[in-house]
Amino acid sequence: RVSSDGKPPKFQPPPKPVIIDRKTKKEESRFLSPEFIPPRGRKDPLKYYIERKDMIQRRKVFNIPEFYVGHILAVTTANPLASDKSSRFVGICIQRGGTGLGATFVLRNVIEDQGVEICYELYSPRIQAIEVLKLEKRLDENLMYLRDALPEYSTVDVNMKPVPRMDHEEIPVNKVQVRMKPKPWSKRWERPKYNIKGIKFELPEHKMQAAQKWSQPWLEFDMLREYDTSKIEEKIRKELSEELEK
Amino acid sequence: MMPIWTKSGEKHAVTLLKVQDCHVLRYVSKEESGGKTAKLLVGGKNVSPFSKPESAHEIFREAGVPRKQKVTTFNVTDDAIIKPGTPLYAAHFRPGQFVDVTAKTIGKGFQGVMKRWGFKGQPASHGQTKTHRRPGAISTNQAAKVYRGKKMPGKMGNIYRTSFGLKVWRINTKHDIIYVNGSVPGHTSCLVKVRDSKLPTYKDCNKNPPFPTFFADGDEELPEDLFDEEIFQFTDPSVTFA
Repeated sequence: RVSSDGKPPKFQPPPKPVIIDRKTKKEESRFLSPEFIPPRGRKDPLKYYIERKDMIQRRKVFNIPEFYVGHILAVTTANPLASDKSSRFVGICIQRGGTGLGATFVLRNVIEDQGVEICYELYSPRIQAIEVLKLEKRLDENLMYLRDALPEYSTVDVNMKPVPRMDHEEIPVNKVQVRMKPKPWSKRWERPKYNIKGIKFELPEHKMQAAQKWSQPWLEFDMLREYDTSKIEEKIRKELSEELEK
Repeated sequence: MMPIWTKSGEKHAVTLLKVQDCHVLRYVSKEESGGKTAKLLVGGKNVSPFSKPESAHEIFREAGVPRKQKVTTFNVTDDAIIKPGTPLYAAHFRPGQFVDVTAKTIGKGFQGVMKRWGFKGQPASHGQTKTHRRPGAISTNQAAKVYRGKKMPGKMGNIYRTSFGLKVWRINTKHDIIYVNGSVPGHTSCLVKVRDSKLPTYKDCNKNPPFPTFFADGDEELPEDLFDEEIFQFTDPSVTFA
């Protein structure tokens, strides 16, 4: 380039590289464990605040990982009757229930052709470790129908190695359609009240249509049943992040 | 109600009771009341003074305290008399103590004999004519009358009942909350009377309680949470059996 006075051009530093940090985008859709959200009721919010303080205390000492229904977990609990004084159980999480300190989750596995379900309390002091072996969501939030499905869908290898996962990847949804044992089932899973999308119903057409008799299409428009948790969730997220940083 | 775990890993259910604006209202001496001990009137939970006439506000005016929703009496010995107007806090109780909790049970309205008294009723089929939940016979032939107190349908609930011998597991001094073992009569957020247990097994149980009561302006500085020795505190690591 030709300069105005004939001197060499002034040194222009190269433009700084722009780093797009994809990790910051994940902060917006953070996971809030469902037991933190208080149910709708007449109780004093002070009670839920005090419970949350206890839950945060426990989470500071013991790591409760983020998990959903459909994940494969390994739980080690303290057992006074076992020889090692601890017992390990691996299984698929089929249900998460309860609010506050009494929150529970049910793990299912088939061991030596016997289906076994164990209901653990998240905040029980006897739990020594919770490891997430495989992360995968399912189409439904309640996998109780696995009891009536073929046992191959509930078997989980006890010596499974944890599947590695990057932090910023989204949790994959397993769209498997589960095949069922012949009827009778423990619950009539074809009825619309359970709203199950993960079963491959091999029932005849007229039975599926007869099940739609029990549908209640007015339920989704019922305004009294609406429970908008977005504001409550924001407050609780703020509280959690403040307390966990301390 | 909340779960609580002990150091050996056992779970107990616990009810949370909040001490909300409790003040001593009046001292009634033994001769005045005509009983065996002196009495202290205690009121709890402030409420608007505009819904009652001025005559009802006399007790509260003497003690210098806003109108209370509930006024109860406690029988006290002469060395435990407190001056009217002193506030009472949850720290009056200590973990490891045993208490009796009195409250009005949930009102169920007019109920039949099966729900109210647990009668078995009659079978659903096999020829029963219009008789499935009735009391059946109410007396014998020779009695020629129905005895007083015969269990019959009527208004059920909304009466005072007490749960005895409940252990105090934990006390929160900042929010004035008492964690009491087991369940307590009454609906959620109802008014409740908590008293030292009168059961003979817990007569000598209270080791050095604050006597006559816990005074907030005193020298004692209590931590925010007082725990019983057996409770598993969430600051400890998980329980292991050696």
